Amino acid sequence: MIEILSNAALATVQDLGRLGSLRFGVGTAGAMDDLALAAGNLLLGNEAGAAGIEIPVFPFKVRFTDDCAFALTGADCGARLDATPLLPWWSHQARAGQVLTLGLPQGAQRASRALLCLPGGVDVPEVLGSRSTQMRGAFGGHEGRALRKGDVLRAAEPERACRTGFGLVPPAVALPLEIGGLIALRVLPGAEYLGFDAASRDAFWASEWRITAQSDRYGYRLAGEVLQPLAPMELRSHGIVPGVIQVPHNGQPIIQMRDAQPSGGYPKFGAVIEADLWRLGQAPIGSRIRFIETRWEEAVAALEQKEAWLAKVARMVALHRSAPMEIAA
Amino acid sequence: MTSSTAGSAPTVSLLGTTALLFEAPGAMALDSQQRIWALAHEAAGWPEVREAVPGMNNLMLSFVHPPRALDALKARLDAAWEAVAPLTREGRVVELPVRYGGASGPHMADVVAHTGLSVEQIVELHSAPLYPVYALGSHPGYCYLGGMDPRLATPRRKVPVLSIPGGAVSIGGAQTGVSASAGPSGWNTIGSTTMAFFDPARNPPATLQPGDRIRFLVEGIEP
Amino acid sequence: MKKTAHELREIAGWMAETDIGFLELRMPGATVRLGRRSEEVVTLDDGQRADAQVDGRAGAPDQNPAGLHPDTVTAGSVGVFLHAHPCATAPFVRTGTEVLAGQTLGLLRIGVLLLPVVASRAGTVAALRAGDGATVGYGAPLVDLHSF
Repeated sequence: MIEILSNAALATVQDLGRLGSLRFGVGTAGAMDDLALAAGNLLLGNEAGAAGIEIPVFPFKVRFTDDCAFALTGADCGARLDATPLLPWWSHQARAGQVLTLGLPQGAQRASRALLCLPGGVDVPEVLGSRSTQMRGAFGGHEGRALRKGDVLRAAEPERACRTGFGLVPPAVALPLEIGGLIALRVLPGAEYLGFDAASRDAFWASEWRITAQSDRYGYRLAGEVLQPLAPMELRSHGIVPGVIQVPHNGQPIIQMRDAQPSGGYPKFGAVIEADLWRLGQAPIGSRIRFIETRWEEAVAALEQKEAWLAKVARMVALHRSAPMEIAA
Repeated sequence: MTSSTAGSAPTVSLLGTTALLFEAPGAMALDSQQRIWALAHEAAGWPEVREAVPGMNNLMLSFVHPPRALDALKARLDAAWEAVAPLTREGRVVELPVRYGGASGPHMADVVAHTGLSVEQIVELHSAPLYPVYALGSHPGYCYLGGMDPRLATPRRKVPVLSIPGGAVSIGGAQTGVSASAGPSGWNTIGSTTMAFFDPARNPPATLQPGDRIRFLVEGIEP
Repeated sequence: MKKTAHELREIAGWMAETDIGFLELRMPGATVRLGRRSEEVVTLDDGQRADAQVDGRAGAPDQNPAGLHPDTVTAGSVGVFLHAHPCATAPFVRTGTEVLAGQTLGLLRIGVLLLPVVASRAGTVAALRAGDGATVGYGAPLVDLHSF
């Protein structure tokens, strides 16, 4: 069991998303960095899609009220268990009474969210097939809302023996993608792409885009070149998914994120490919990003590469859990 | 104004690798929407498709896994559209009392300014039709309605509003709808009603479904 | 240090998951060589060559096969020895660093996995025997400690 000690942290319980209820107006929600969630779960021997806690604001503190294994992935936040510094992308063992503190994301990384995983996943009820928090409508996750000081959460399998004390090479190192030191995201052009003038299209790919402070789990509002349509576009409402890049009348793109509406009507310049959504989910507020034009075949291959990395993680962790190597004098 | 559906052939476009979007050609119409419902029913059973999500004379197909043979799927979709017969369904009628204008309709003035109609004319035109539910989307339980009088059409707002309340009755472009819960919106709110549109514990969780109809009753016009 | 058939299979399993092409295990009285044939890890007879002779041995002198110091931390697996975590700029320890029992001295990267290399006793780091990023074999010396 863990007790939340922090307030106003915007932390939520998320799994890989609520799939299959789009036709009722229910978006997917889910972890902004789905790769970090899956990896953290695999470190503990969980199903990759078990529910974890996504932490976007720091400092963040929890107390373990029982002995508990846990994994921390995503942003390296100089985490400490009581006074002991913890390695990032690692599994650990907490004793009852210990306090886990996450500080500000540190170092040269461009990451902004941490994922905390527990044995068996966070034990909250499944709603419409998922344990992700649905903020609009207030259901799923922990009582359909962000976590508050005093909330108590349980691991689904607290008794399960977990080998801990090992970790992973972070995917930002294993699967790098950047241009000029900035996070880069592959984009497939969308239905209204050619409805924008050539100068705007060129500028979209060539320039840097700043993630403004008006950005959150619903959408990332970008600042940069004003994208001009050839003629005003008024569209019928249609389904959309996380990653879709809309351009409203002011010409500044909004990337729909995990809590976005499952439908919309603004022109669609393109969509960040599914394989790169985790990179986008980590991009900090105020940071600048670049876009890379891609094609269907490359985008599908990128998704397979991401899935192959997770499969490798699962295999290696299983090997280590069954035949651990001890390395000490 | 250009529409992406100008022309006589349907268009298929990509939403990243997560889904594709099929848009029916021609004017927004109920019989087109009935064919979309039929197409959704058929495509929902295809192995590549996780979910078929009708929109306003369009259909989003989310993928289980992005198919390598994308062109083959597109061809199958086009062929199915040609072959499909409208799925007629006359569902139930739900009547919603609406308080129009004033604090309940903070963007009524923008609709007046764009359409050139008076508040009374707007209320009369808005409350006259029996609106079919074309699709659900936007947020849990929200219904996209067809059949709004084109004289009421008002473009979506330049900058979306950060939060409008549940029960807000709004106009966006040529469409109208009622918010099922509080949240951001780019539409113009002209009134307010009360109704429980969604219960996640129920099966299905949404109160209304495509084919049901809504009528707005004028409870009052606020100054 | 003698490896049983079961332990050899485990080591081969690890090796299959990495990009190491060749591994030589020297034990008193026997040497076992593991190499890659197509996608498989196989034992090599004297004179046989692996598809890629990427040497998995650490640089150890022949007379003293492991160059062991009384308090040498050795590699429990083939892998890549790292002086710092991939996210960090500073190394865990340097020559002269005083360490506590259980303190992490470095990491062993095996494919995507990172395993801690820890001090089992308190002491001072006398030497880092394997370079940062060096591919090391099973039993290779990594860190020499002077215990208190």
